[in-house]
Amino acid sequence: MDVFKDKLLSSFIVFENQLNGQKKQPFHQKRREAIDVFEVKGFPTVKDEEWKYTNLKPLFNKDFNVFHPGEDSLEFSDIRRFFLSESDTYKIVFINGIFASWLSSTTHQNYDICTFSAALENHRDVVDKYAGSIARNQESLTALNTSFAKEGAFINIPDGKVVDRPIEVLYFTTDSDNNTFIQPRNLVVVGKNAECCIVERHQSLGKQLTVNNSVTEVMAHAGAQVTYHKIQNDDDNASLIDSTTIKQERDSKVTVHTFSFGGKITRNNLEFDLTEAGAEAYLYGVSILDKRQLVDNHTIVNHMVPNCYSNELYKGIYDDNSRGVFNGKIHVHPHAVKTNAFQENNNLLLSDKASIDTKPQLEIYADDVKCSHGCTIGQLDEDALFYLRQRGIGVKEAQALLMLAFTTDALKEIKIPELKSKLNRLIARKLNVNLDFNL
Amino acid sequence: MDILEKVTNSDYKYGFYTKIDSDKAPKGLNEDIIRFISAKKEEPEWMLEWRLDAFRQWQKMEEPNWAHVKYQKPDYQDISYYSAPKKKKSLDSLDEVDPELLKTFEKLGISLDEQKRLTGVAVDVVVDSVSVKTTFREKLAEMGIIFCAISDAVKEYPELVKKYIGTVVPKGDNFFAALNSAVFTDGSFCYIPKGVKCPMELSTYFRINEAGTGQFERTLLIADEGSYVSYLEGCTAPMRDENQLHAAVVELVALDDAEIKYSTVQNWYPGNKEGKGGVFNFVTKRGICERNAKISWTQVETGSAVTWKYPSCILKGDNSIGEFYSVAVTNNYQQADTGTKMIHLGRNTKSTIISKGICAGNSEGSYRGLVKIGPRAQNARNFSECDSLLMGNACGSHTFPYIEIKNKSAKVEHEATTSKIGEDQLFYCNQRGIPTEEAIALIVNGYCKDVLNQLPMEFAVEAQKLLEVSLEGSVG
Amino acid sequence: MLKIKNLHASIDGTDILKGIDLEVKPGEVHAIMGPNGSGKSTLSAVIAGREDYEISQGSIEFVGEDIMDLSPEERAHMGLFLSFQYPVEIPGVSVTNFLKTAINESRKGRGLEAMPAKDMLKAMREKMAMLEMDKSFMSRSINEGFSGGEKKRNEIFQMAMLEPKLAILDETDSGLDIDALRIVANGVNKLRSKDNAIVVITHYQRLLDHIIPDKVHVLFNGKIVKSGDKSLALELESKGYDWIKEEITA
Repeated sequence: MDVFKDKLLSSFIVFENQLNGQKKQPFHQKRREAIDVFEVKGFPTVKDEEWKYTNLKPLFNKDFNVFHPGEDSLEFSDIRRFFLSESDTYKIVFINGIFASWLSSTTHQNYDICTFSAALENHRDVVDKYAGSIARNQESLTALNTSFAKEGAFINIPDGKVVDRPIEVLYFTTDSDNNTFIQPRNLVVVGKNAECCIVERHQSLGKQLTVNNSVTEVMAHAGAQVTYHKIQNDDDNASLIDSTTIKQERDSKVTVHTFSFGGKITRNNLEFDLTEAGAEAYLYGVSILDKRQLVDNHTIVNHMVPNCYSNELYKGIYDDNSRGVFNGKIHVHPHAVKTNAFQENNNLLLSDKASIDTKPQLEIYADDVKCSHGCTIGQLDEDALFYLRQRGIGVKEAQALLMLAFTTDALKEIKIPELKSKLNRLIARKLNVNLDFNL
Repeated sequence: MDILEKVTNSDYKYGFYTKIDSDKAPKGLNEDIIRFISAKKEEPEWMLEWRLDAFRQWQKMEEPNWAHVKYQKPDYQDISYYSAPKKKKSLDSLDEVDPELLKTFEKLGISLDEQKRLTGVAVDVVVDSVSVKTTFREKLAEMGIIFCAISDAVKEYPELVKKYIGTVVPKGDNFFAALNSAVFTDGSFCYIPKGVKCPMELSTYFRINEAGTGQFERTLLIADEGSYVSYLEGCTAPMRDENQLHAAVVELVALDDAEIKYSTVQNWYPGNKEGKGGVFNFVTKRGICERNAKISWTQVETGSAVTWKYPSCILKGDNSIGEFYSVAVTNNYQQADTGTKMIHLGRNTKSTIISKGICAGNSEGSYRGLVKIGPRAQNARNFSECDSLLMGNACGSHTFPYIEIKNKSAKVEHEATTSKIGEDQLFYCNQRGIPTEEAIALIVNGYCKDVLNQLPMEFAVEAQKLLEVSLEGSVG
Repeated sequence: MLKIKNLHASIDGTDILKGIDLEVKPGEVHAIMGPNGSGKSTLSAVIAGREDYEISQGSIEFVGEDIMDLSPEERAHMGLFLSFQYPVEIPGVSVTNFLKTAINESRKGRGLEAMPAKDMLKAMREKMAMLEMDKSFMSRSINEGFSGGEKKRNEIFQMAMLEPKLAILDETDSGLDIDALRIVANGVNKLRSKDNAIVVITHYQRLLDHIIPDKVHVLFNGKIVKSGDKSLALELESKGYDWIKEEITA
């Protein structure tokens, strides 16, 4: 890991020299501070309690390209299947970390749905106010992202505006002469009583190793409503470290859905700061893994003030040699009374080689609260399986049906019909059955 | 809040100090001190070597800081590692016990007089570093049960001690266990022969008396095949402004088909209302279960300034069972980080964890637990329930369960809740004429019932009273 | 239709069925009665192919084929239906989704095309009307939060949808009030034909007032100890099971 760390540190100097005028912007000062944090802390190791169950060493012992040439040979028809819709969504598409305008559909009417690099030029006030102020700058991988932050999605919705269609954010990687390391940086600012819905996906199209170290910051102002879907169904050569931090003001409502069906190592750091009364946070996760895949879901909900609500439900199904990690924390700060916070993590183990490590935590400093967490590990119900088979449903299909049923609670809040059917298809394919789960 | 102000003045009623002539080692820790302890105890050479090995391992270790507790780490060179009430010769009858000491135990409510003793409880009493009296020893011997001070056992039953000591908690297991292994001075030893159901509760009372001493007792309990024993321990200490260190090790061995029930009522001095003084209770307790064996830990933790304690079960044998029932109460500035580890290695192993935390004042209580199901542990089952009750808004309550599953047939359920005593519950009691103080005691006792029910009768009553005393003045 | 010879079955080393002989012909209704613990539910589970039981001796033939080595779903595809004494709750699977999967899997098993959704919904509505069931049933999770009566009605509804050759109704009357019993029995009677058969397993006679059996068998201690016509059921109702026990031990 040290070799790649050194490469990153020297790459920063190269990167900085390419910035020209941007070097004088306040945001660049944050980059500089961040690279210092990364230099001191380096990549996290399993000795770090938060990385106890996920070893990044085999990943970062390899060499990666940090800078990427432009790629313009990709046609929409090649990648259509990764999109929700051809025309009914806004699209911000990147190839190897570089904006692909011919595949995208951005807007500046009523609201800004464009790129972070554009915002660095044209929306400096927004960038300076929010970028780097919500993310956890002391986390070394977040700091690493910040130090190179230049490109990603920028979504800025003014007060009272409701975005009329879903926003798709897609990151593709293609083969180059080496493994690919990209660091997307997304900033989402949703004004008072404004609404938007985002679908994010990372997809590797090549054969070489890909690592995405992605950081997303979401600011939800009073009364804002944000729904964020993350579809993680990448190839076995692709890994993703996703750090998403969300700050919520009064009466805002933010829902994050995380669907993890593929990828070599997927680490999700999802953290909420509920800073004003009436804020509601919903966290739903579905992981269905096989082969040697690993998903590590780390969530923290910070209840910083009284009268907020959070509800977390994560479901995992693990087959073959796959591994699941769940580490969820509800943190009720002093005086955050009348907090209602719930967390549930249910897992199914399908193979003797699969394993689960789960650590649901409560850290509570206020007395008048209702907090609970629950966690189960088990198998499919034999009685239910027999019942289904008695009605003529084959073993594989019966198991698939029960597994889908197991995930239902975590899927029912999805409001986009196209997304719902896409997910159902993905799940059926993942479970290797030809069942249409919709009627 | 008035009531809070009024009754926070509840006193630690075991906080007296007894003037007893004592034999004390100079402060500090080095190989010479260990040789001194070993010589004082007239130990065989192998025991001394074992201690020295532990000491050398300890020197390379660092004091752990992963627990959710904050304290000034003790200066391990500023502690006296040996303190014994002076005795004229060996204690064969009660008449020879220092009369001051006898008075102490009367104050504690523990009579060493076998005639007056509640029938059915045999007691070993450990003051500071040494065992002063074991009752009913002869009667138990008739059944082949050995119940004595561990220092006697080292001399009288060296094969048994040598065979089992350090097999459950290895010398270098952790910082405090290594320290204990190097300097332990006394504790109880118990062996139940094959097929014997021990007819009475075995009990040890621990008391720290001298200032500037640490208590490092070591308990080794072996239940041979098909045997049964219920064991109780209680602890108290004088009120002192400085912190006193208690680093004990308890090892339980339950061989095939054996059952051990181990109950603790821990009431070391918790420090005063400002958080000054009190005992640092850093204890390693672990049991190993062979085939069809069962170990059940029950603890009521109300004392100590800082508690760091995880009574655990290694479920090695097929069909073995581990249980952990805990009530941990913290008030004022107490801190407790306690829980259990259930390590499932054998097939069809089962474990149950019931933990009730109650936090009041400025205290912090944490449940920390591990449930681990190994790849060979087919059909393992675990059920965990960890509830916390908060009283007042200056305390903190935390839950850190670790669940690691490596077998697909495992069924594991973990639940945790945090809540406070409901206003409506209190009002309901008040309306029926029950004052708030009593109502709280009533509700808390009800909340802890699943755990208290596990205690033997004599202890259950004492534990209930302790809960009330510990929580006095915690009404917000 | 169903031919059972000298069937012995055990679970976890305990013998439950100790030599059952039974033959059911197309068009017939058989009732199997017996006290608790006589092996009634085990018999139905073994016929349906539950894998927990060890079969040490005997054979089961269904529509002329030995089904001993077939999986539960293969037996179901051949037209065997078991109405469960305790229908299983499956949260997250709607009745509609479940039935659609069951019907199409059975059709696939028989080499047929999937049923068009329109036809299926029409059939569902008809059968639900027959059983006086509310339409809201279709979108509810299967058996989850259903009352005892609703669960049993749901079983007969599925039977109506799947059109089996042989239906085994395991204690279908338990948990039903008198009106529900009538509705369920009427539903069953409407499904009777000269080509299919029904085995009613019950502790009491009252269901047999509505579904008239051709033959009645008494199962006791893992064996059929007495067979007769419907009058045997009435005799059992008035005298209880003790006289049978005495008769056997005498």
